[in-house]
Amino acid sequence: MNVERMPNHAASGEVVVSGIAVGKTFADGTVIALDNTTFEIKRGSFVSLVGPSGCGKSTLLRLISGLITPTSGQISVHDTPVTGPRRDISMMFQKATLLEWRTSLENVLLPTEIAGTPTKADKNRALDLLKLVGLGDFAFSFPAQLSGGMQQRVALARLLQTGADILLLDEPFGALDEFTRERLNTELMRIVAEVGATTIFVTHNISEAIFLADQVFVMTSRPGRVAKIVDVDLERPRPLSIQTSPEFNRLVEDVRVTLGAV
Amino acid sequence: MAEAAQSGPTKASAGPSRSLRNRRLMTHAGIFLTLIIAWELASRAGWLDPLFYPRPSNILNSFWLIYFKNGNVWEHLGVTMSLVFMGFVGGSILGIVLGSLVGLNGLVRRFLKPYVIVLEATPRIAVAPLLIAALGFGATSKIAIIMLVCFFAPFINTLSGVMNVNAEKLELFRSLGASKWQILRKLVLPDAVPIIMAGERLALTAALSGALVAEFIQRDQGIGSLILVYTRNLNMASSFACIFTLTILGFLIFRGMELVDQYIAFWKYEAGRERVSAKRRRAMRS
Amino acid sequence: MPDSRPSRGYRFLDAMVRFVPHLVLLIVLLCLWEAAVATGMITSIMIPRPSAIGGAIVELYVTKGTIYKHFFITLTEAVVGFCIGAAIAVSLAVCSSLSDVFKRYVIPYAVVLNVTPGIALTPVVIAWFGYGMGSKMALAAILCFFPIFVNTLTGLVQIDEDREELFKSLGANNTQIFTKMRVPAALPLMFAGLKIGLTTALIGAVVAEFAQATDGVGVLMSRFSFQLNMAASIATLLSMTVIGLLLFYTMEFLDDRIVFWRRESRRAAASRARARSWQSQIGK
Repeated sequence: MNVERMPNHAASGEVVVSGIAVGKTFADGTVIALDNTTFEIKRGSFVSLVGPSGCGKSTLLRLISGLITPTSGQISVHDTPVTGPRRDISMMFQKATLLEWRTSLENVLLPTEIAGTPTKADKNRALDLLKLVGLGDFAFSFPAQLSGGMQQRVALARLLQTGADILLLDEPFGALDEFTRERLNTELMRIVAEVGATTIFVTHNISEAIFLADQVFVMTSRPGRVAKIVDVDLERPRPLSIQTSPEFNRLVEDVRVTLGAV
Repeated sequence: MAEAAQSGPTKASAGPSRSLRNRRLMTHAGIFLTLIIAWELASRAGWLDPLFYPRPSNILNSFWLIYFKNGNVWEHLGVTMSLVFMGFVGGSILGIVLGSLVGLNGLVRRFLKPYVIVLEATPRIAVAPLLIAALGFGATSKIAIIMLVCFFAPFINTLSGVMNVNAEKLELFRSLGASKWQILRKLVLPDAVPIIMAGERLALTAALSGALVAEFIQRDQGIGSLILVYTRNLNMASSFACIFTLTILGFLIFRGMELVDQYIAFWKYEAGRERVSAKRRRAMRS
Repeated sequence: MPDSRPSRGYRFLDAMVRFVPHLVLLIVLLCLWEAAVATGMITSIMIPRPSAIGGAIVELYVTKGTIYKHFFITLTEAVVGFCIGAAIAVSLAVCSSLSDVFKRYVIPYAVVLNVTPGIALTPVVIAWFGYGMGSKMALAAILCFFPIFVNTLTGLVQIDEDREELFKSLGANNTQIFTKMRVPAALPLMFAGLKIGLTTALIGAVVAEFAQATDGVGVLMSRFSFQLNMAASIATLLSMTVIGLLLFYTMEFLDDRIVFWRRESRRAAASRARARSWQSQIGK
C-alpha cells in the first residue's frame, strides 16, 4: 500500500488543533450557535463531538474547517490561525456528494485536480485508496452504480486523497442503515489508525461516539458549548463486542448524565 | 418530453427590500426608455430605415389607430380568439381522453407507440395546408388545425401522468379493495392533474400559434392575416402594434393558465391549500 | 467483470420479434384503407388510397427525386437557425448565470419574447431577411431561443448545497466551481432544452416557407395541397417526419454520449471505456 504512514495515534501529545474562547453567533445575533469554547486536540487522536441537534457540533466542525469564521475567539491548526479552507484539513459530509458524471476514481481525484494537475503517482494513490476502502473493483463505476454505503466509501477515499492529516467527519454514515454503519465505523478506525490522521467525528449517537474515539466532547445546546470531555481509555483495536462491556456502559452512562443534566 | 420547457418569469425569491425593488424597477424603466429613445433617434437620423424598422412613435400611433380611430383590430382579435378557444377546448379534451385510454391500456400503448414517435417528430403545424385543402377555406379547417397542434401536449402528458402513478399509493388502494374505476377516479386522475395542466399550458400557446399559421395561409380574417397584410403593405408600425398586442395577450394567457392551475391543482400551492381547507371547514359546519 | 450484454444475433432476433406485430398491424390497416377506397366506402377525393400515396412516394423520392433538393434546403435552414439560436441562448444563459445584474436586466426581455407567439413574427422576419433561406433561419433561431435559454439557465443556477460546501472545503476557485460542478450539472437540462429547441426550429423553418419561399418542403407541401394532390402532399409530409426524426435522433445520440451518466447502459459502457483507457495510460 502506497499510503504514507504517520506516527501512530495519540502518542506524541503535540497539540494540532486548538480553540481559545471560540464563539459563533448567526445572522441577527440572537442565535448563539457556539459559546466561548476552549479546547485542544492532540496529534493522531480521534475526537467525537456528540450532542443533540442545535448543540453547535456541526458549527464547531465548520469553524475548524474554515468554511465559516468565528464571531469571537480563535481557532489554530498547526499553530497557525484558521482563516479559510486549507489543504491540511479535509472534510467529509453526511451525504457522499459524489459528482455523478465521474467514476469513483475520478471522484477521488477531485481534490488533487482542484489543487493542481494530477500526476501518475496521484492517480495510483487514488486507486490504492479505493482498494484501502474496499472498492478496488469499483474504481471505474459511476456513483449511480454504487450502493449508499459504497458511495460513502468513495467519499472516504476522497477525504484521504487530500493528504490532509486532520480529518473532519460530519455524521458521515448517518444516512446509512445500522449494519452498514457499524461495518464502516470499524473500517474507519482501521484506516485512520493506518494513515495516522487526527480525526474529529460529529455524531448524535452516543455509543458510536464512544466506540470510535479517544476523547468524547459532550456538547449541550442553548447556548451551544462543550459541557464535558470524556476520555475513552478502551484498548485498541476494539471489537464490536466491546459495546457490551461494563467499562463501555459506564462511559455511555457518563455521557448520558452530562447530556441529561443540562 | 413536453414538460421540460415549462417555465415562466422567475419568482423573486427572498425578496429584496422595497426601496431596493423600487430602485431596480426604475433602472429597468430607464434602460427600456433609453433603448426606445435610441431606436427613435437612430431612425430619425436615418440609420434605421423606417420602412422596415418602424419608429416607436409610429408604433404608438398605430396602436391608437387600430384600437380606437379605426378600431379594426377588435373584430380580428375576436375571430382569432374564438377559434383558439374552440380548437383548444376540442384538442385538449381529445388529448386528455385519448391519453388516459392509451395510458391505461398496455396493448394499445404498445401498438400506438411507433405512431406517437413519428407524430412527435413531425412538425404538426406542417399538416395545415393539407387540412385546408381537405376541409376547405373557413373556420372548420382553422379549428381542425388548432385542435391538431394542441392535441399532442395534453395527450403525452396525460399518458405519462396516468402511467407514472405512484406505486405505493396504488398498493394502498389495492389493499383497500378499490375497484379499477375507483382507482382511476380517486388516485390516477387526481395524481396526474399537475402534469396534465402543464400540458394544457403548452397546448394553449400552441393553439395561438396554430391559429396564426392557419390565418397566414388563408389570409381572410383574424389577427394573423392582419399582420400579414400590414407587413405586405410595408405598414410595419401597424404590424408591430398587432404583434405587441399578441405579447400582451400571451402574457394574459400565461397568467390566466397560472391562475387556473392554482385553482385546479390547489394542493400544490400554499394559498390554494388554505383556501380549500377553509372552504371545506365551512362546509363541514353547515 | 462478466459481460452480461446479450449477443448481437440474439438482440437482432429480439428486435425482429418485437417489430413483426407492428408491421403486420400496419399492413392490415393499409389494406383495409385501400379496400375501403376501392369498394367505394370512402368516396372523398380528399382521402387518397395508400397505393396512390405509395406511388407519389416512389415518384418524389425515387424516379424523379424532386424531394431531395427541398429536403436539404429545409434541413439546412432548420439546423443553421438552430445553431444560431442555440449559440445566442447558451451564451446569454452563461452570462446570466455568472452575473446577477446581467440576469436581472436580460430576463424581462426573454420573458417578453417567450409570451409573444414567435410565429407572429413570420411576415416581419420575411420582410427583414428576404424571401430566401435567411428569413427561414432567422425564424428558426427566434423560435428555438427561449426553451434553450431557460433550460440552460435553470441548469446553471441550480444550487446543490452539499456540493457547494464540498468545493469550498477543497478550496476550489470560481473557475473550478463553474467548470467542474456547474456546467456538468447543467448539461442534462441544457440538452432537454436543445431537444425542444430543435423541434421548434424545424417548425420555424417550415412555417416561414409556407408564408413566402420558392424552395423547401414547406413550399412543396402547400403547392401540392393547393393542387389538391393529396397523395403527393402526404408523401411530402413524410419527408418532414424524416427530418424531424433525423434531428431528434441526432440530438438523442449526442445527449446519450455527453450526458452518459443518466442512462444505465451508457454508464456501463463509459465505465468500461475508462477502465480501458486507464489500463493503456497507467498500465499495471
